[in-house]
Amino acid sequence: MIKTIKSTEVSERISGLREKVLRTKPSVCTERAKFYTQAYAENEDKPIILKRAIALEKTLLGMTIFIDEGELIVGNQSSQHRAAPIFPEYAVDWLPEEMDGLDKRSGDAFFITDEHKKELVEIAAWWKGKVLYDKGRALMSQELRDLQDSAIIKATGNLTSGDAHIAVDFYKILEVGLNGYLDEISSFHKQVKRYEQDGVRKDHFYTALTISIRAFQSFIQRFQELALQQAEASSNQVRKAELTNISHNCKAIAENAPENFNQALQLVYFVQLILQIESNGHSVSLGRMDQYLYPFYKKDILKGNLTDEFASELLESTWIKLLSVNKIRPWSHTRFSAGGPLYQNVTIGGQTTEGLDAVNELSFLILHSVGKMKLTQPNLSVRFHQNISETFMNECIRVIEKGFGMPAFNNDEIVIPELIKLGVEKDDAYNYSAIGCIEIAVPGKWGYRCTGMSFLNLMRVMLASMYDGLDKYSGKTFYKGIGNFVDFNSFNELYKAWQHQIKFYAQKTVEIDTAVDTAIEEYVPDILCSAFVDSCISRGKTIKEGGSKYDFVSGLQVGIANLGNSLAAIKKLVFEEKKITKQELLQAIESDFEGKDGEKIRYMLLNFAPKYGNDDDYVDLLLRDAYLDFIVELEKYHTTRYNRGPIGCRYYAGTSSISANVPNGSVVPATPDGRKAYTPVAEGSSPSSGSDILGPTAVFKSVSKLPTEKIMGGVLLNQKLTPSTIKTDADKEKLVSILRTFFTDLKGWHVQYNIVSRDTLLAAKRDPEKYRDLIVRVAGYCAFFTTLSPDTQDDIIARTEQTL
Amino acid sequence: MIFNIQRFSTHDGPGIRTVIFYKGCPLRCAWCSNPESQDFGYSLMYDRKLCRNFGDCLRQESKYLSGNENGILIDWASVTKPEKLMNVCLSKALSVSGEEKNMVEILNEIAKDSLFFQQSGGGVTFSGGEPLSQGPELELLLDELNKQKIDVAIETSLHVPWQKIERCLGKTGKFLVDLKHTNSAKFERFTGGNAGLVMSNIEKLAACNENIIIRVPVIPEFNHTFGEMKGIIDYTVALKTIREIHFLPFHNLGSAKYEMLGMEYRYSEMKNLDTVEMAEYMAYAESVGLIAKIGG
Repeated sequence: MIKTIKSTEVSERISGLREKVLRTKPSVCTERAKFYTQAYAENEDKPIILKRAIALEKTLLGMTIFIDEGELIVGNQSSQHRAAPIFPEYAVDWLPEEMDGLDKRSGDAFFITDEHKKELVEIAAWWKGKVLYDKGRALMSQELRDLQDSAIIKATGNLTSGDAHIAVDFYKILEVGLNGYLDEISSFHKQVKRYEQDGVRKDHFYTALTISIRAFQSFIQRFQELALQQAEASSNQVRKAELTNISHNCKAIAENAPENFNQALQLVYFVQLILQIESNGHSVSLGRMDQYLYPFYKKDILKGNLTDEFASELLESTWIKLLSVNKIRPWSHTRFSAGGPLYQNVTIGGQTTEGLDAVNELSFLILHSVGKMKLTQPNLSVRFHQNISETFMNECIRVIEKGFGMPAFNNDEIVIPELIKLGVEKDDAYNYSAIGCIEIAVPGKWGYRCTGMSFLNLMRVMLASMYDGLDKYSGKTFYKGIGNFVDFNSFNELYKAWQHQIKFYAQKTVEIDTAVDTAIEEYVPDILCSAFVDSCISRGKTIKEGGSKYDFVSGLQVGIANLGNSLAAIKKLVFEEKKITKQELLQAIESDFEGKDGEKIRYMLLNFAPKYGNDDDYVDLLLRDAYLDFIVELEKYHTTRYNRGPIGCRYYAGTSSISANVPNGSVVPATPDGRKAYTPVAEGSSPSSGSDILGPTAVFKSVSKLPTEKIMGGVLLNQKLTPSTIKTDADKEKLVSILRTFFTDLKGWHVQYNIVSRDTLLAAKRDPEKYRDLIVRVAGYCAFFTTLSPDTQDDIIARTEQTL
Repeated sequence: MIFNIQRFSTHDGPGIRTVIFYKGCPLRCAWCSNPESQDFGYSLMYDRKLCRNFGDCLRQESKYLSGNENGILIDWASVTKPEKLMNVCLSKALSVSGEEKNMVEILNEIAKDSLFFQQSGGGVTFSGGEPLSQGPELELLLDELNKQKIDVAIETSLHVPWQKIERCLGKTGKFLVDLKHTNSAKFERFTGGNAGLVMSNIEKLAACNENIIIRVPVIPEFNHTFGEMKGIIDYTVALKTIREIHFLPFHNLGSAKYEMLGMEYRYSEMKNLDTVEMAEYMAYAESVGLIAKIGG
C-alpha cells in the first residue's frame, strides 16, 4: 500500500520559487505597525480585546497582498517575502535604538529603508509607556527586575516577542470551516448574561471573535479577487487556469470547509499565516499534518483528482511560503534564537488513537517533499513508536543523510504514557504533536508555551552556592546562602548549599513568569488563536484567561551538562581524592585558570573527573539528583490559569534551550568543570562540547538517566555525524537500531542529527557565499549556517563529531 | 592486559558491538594500524600536540625523559616501567597504554550496551593484539558471556598454538580470521610470523565446523596483486566450510601512533586504498561462490 517517491528533483516552478525566497534579503515591513498604531489611537476608549480585533481587521483589510508568478499556495505575511512585520504593542523602543545597525548584525541581519526608519521613530514615540515590555516590567518587583538584569533568569523574549508555542485545532478548522466558527461564536454570544460582570467581558470577547473571523474571511476573499484579476490579465493559458483555481479555492474556504486537498492545504496555510500576523510569538506549529490532511488526500487520489506529484508540489509550495514568513527580534533576544527561525513545526508519524502505526502515504510525501526542499522551515518532526514502519524509518535516515538536520525524532513511548499520568485523556495523549523544536502539546487543546517560559542559568546558581549566595558576576546577593565553599568540609555541604539556592531561584522563575503572563493576558490577548483552541469559545475566555483544555508549561534550564560535570569534579578531585584544595579551585576559577597553576587545575578538572555523556553513573546520577532538586521545587507552583478552567496549570522542566547556551555562557565566569569564563555552556541536554568520548550509545545512556518523565518541556539531544558514517545501507540500519534502543528501551525523548563534516563547516564559515544553502541543526531546529553569528558557528564546529 | 574497550563498534561482527582490545601480539605486521597493541606490557605514548610543558613527567622520571620549551624528549631505548608515569600528565600528552582489568570490570563495561546488542543482534568482539594469546582469564570471560547469552566474536590472526584456539571451540559465535598471505616467505618478511601455523590452524578450525569469516587486509607491496589475492581466495574456497570473505583496504589512520610510540612506520607515506581497488578481488571471490564484503 505504501509507496515511496524516489524522485529527488523538484519542478522548475518550485525550484524558481525556492530560489527567489532564498535570494530575498530579509527586510522590515512597517505596514502592520502602522495599522495597529492607528487602530489603537482611534479606539483608545475601547476594551483591549476589541481594540485588538479592530487592529487585526484594519491590517487584514489594508495590508499589501500579492501573488507571485507560479505560486500555487497563496498568502503573504507582509509587503514582501521575508519582510518581518513589526509588533509595536509588545516592544518597539529597541527598534529606533537598533535600526541603524540592523543590516550589520553578525547574525540575522535585516535590511531597512530610511523611509521606514522615519516611520518607526514616529510609531515608537506614540507607544512610549504603552508597550507590553514596559507594563510587564512594571508589574515586577525590583528584585525580579534585578534578577533579569543580572541575566541569571531571562524572560525578556516573552515580553518583546510574545507567546505562541502552540498548534491550533486543524481537525476542527478543516471540518467546520470559518462559517462554522461564526455559528458557534454566535450561539454562545446569544447566551451571554450581560447583567453579570463576567458577561460584559464575554460580550466583548465574542464581538472581538466575530470581527476577527470576518476579517480573516475578507482577507481570504482579497486573494480570491486578486487571483481572478491576475487570471484575467494572464495570457498564459496554463497559468490562467491555475489562478482561476486559486480564486475558486479562496472563495470556497473563505466561508466553508474545504472540499479537497488543495483547498485544505491552502486553508491550513492561511490559518498559520494569520496567527503570525495577529501575534508576535514564534513556534506556531502545524501539528499532525499527515493525519488531518490524509482524508482529503485519500479522497482526491481515489477520485483521480490528485496525483502524488501535484500533492508534493503543493506541499513544497507551502514549505516555501512558510520560509517567507519572518520575524525580527531585538539583538538581546536574537542571540538566544540564532538563525532567525520561526520554528513552524510539522509532525508526522506516530500512532492512531487505537495505538496503530499512523504512518500513511502522506507521511512519506511530506517527508520526501521536505527532504527535496532542504529549507529551514518547516521544522519536521517524526513521532517514533516501537511499531513504526521500518521502511519509514529507513526513509527518515535517508533524509537525515541529506545533511540539513531533519527530521528530528520525538518518542511516543515516553510522551504518551507520561501525558496520561499528568491527566491528559487517552485520545488526546495519542494525538500530541511536536511544537517548535522538540517540545510537545496536544494541538488545539493546549495553552501557550509548552516550553519557552523563563530561561534559568544553572551555572550562575551553582556558583552562587559556593559564595554564600553571592552572585559574583553582578555583585549581588539575591538569596543569602548557608556558607562559603572554603568553609565546607564535605561535598555534602556544598550540595546542601546548591539545594538551598536552587529552591529560591525556582520560585523566582515562576514569579517572573507570573508577572509576564499577567501582562500578556491584560495587554495583548490573542483572539483568532483563542478561537482555534478548545474550549475558549465555549468558556468565553482567551487562552491566557484559562480558555484551553490543558495548560502545562515549562521554562528552560541552561547549562545542564556543566552542572553535573562541575559537581562531579569538585566531589572527586577536591573532597575524595584531595588533588585540588578548595582555595586552589577558587583561585583557579576566579582568575579564569590564569597562569601555569591555573591551567594545570583546569586540565585536572577536564581530564581527571568524570564527564556527563560517557555513561558514568558517578556524574550522571549526581546531575540527575541536582536537576531533580530544581524540578521537585518547580512542581509546587501553578500558572496564572490555575482554577480558571484548564486541566493541569502546572510547570515541568525543559531543556530545549535553542542556541541560548551561547549568550547564557557569555555571562558565566569560569566554572569548576574546567570551562573557561564567558564561553558557551553545553546546549540542551547534550554533553559538553568534546567531552563525550565513548560514542553515541554512551551518550544515549547518560541522557536517559535524566528524569525524562519530569522534563516534559523536552530533553534536547543533538548529535553530529559526518556523512561517511552512514554511507552504506548497513550503517543506516545500525543507526536505526540504536535509535530503536534509545527510544524503546531507554525511553529517550528526542534526538536529531547534523550530518556535516567539520571541514564543510569551517569552509562555510570562511566562505559564506558558497554555502548559502548549508543548513545545520542548532539545538532543536535548523538554520542557515551562514546566517549564524561567528560564536554560534564556532560552537557548532566544536561539538563532538561522533563516528559510526 | 587490555588497551581499549570500544563501544558502538559497527564493523567488527554483526550488529552493534563492544570490542575488547587485548594488548600483546605475536606478530609484527609492517602495516599494523594499532602499534600500541603489539607489546604485551605497558607502552608509553607521547602526543606532542597536547603537551602544555607542565613538567610533572620530568619530575617523576628523569632517566629517559628530558625536556625543552617544545615539549619533552624521550630516549625510547631506555624506557623501563612506563606504568609509573600513568596519570602523571594532566594534559594527557604523555600517556600509558595498557590497563589491567579484572573480569568483573570488563563484564560491567560490556553490560552497559547490552540493550543495544539485543536490538541490533550484536554482542562482544575480542580483538587485539592477539586475544587468543591471552591467559586463562579469556576462557573465563568467554564462559561467562556464554552464560549471559551474549554473542562473542573473536578477531584473530590464529598465530597461536592450537590449544589456545581449542579452548574457544563451541563457545564463539564467529571467528574473524585474518588471512594475510599464503606465501610463507612473504608472510614472514612482513609479519615476522609463520604462515604455516596460521594455515594449519585455519584448516583445523574449519574442520570443527566453526563459523569463520576470512578477513584479508589488502596491503600495498605485500598482497595487493590479483595473483596473491587469488591465492588467498582459492585457499579459502578449498577449505569448503567457509562462506564469507572480507577485504579490509589499507588505511594509514594509525601512522600518528607510531610517532607517539617512538616507532618507525614503513607505511607512513602510503595513501589509503580506495574501495574501487577491491573490485577485482570482490568479483573473483563472488565468482567462486563466496560472500564478499569490503570492510567488516
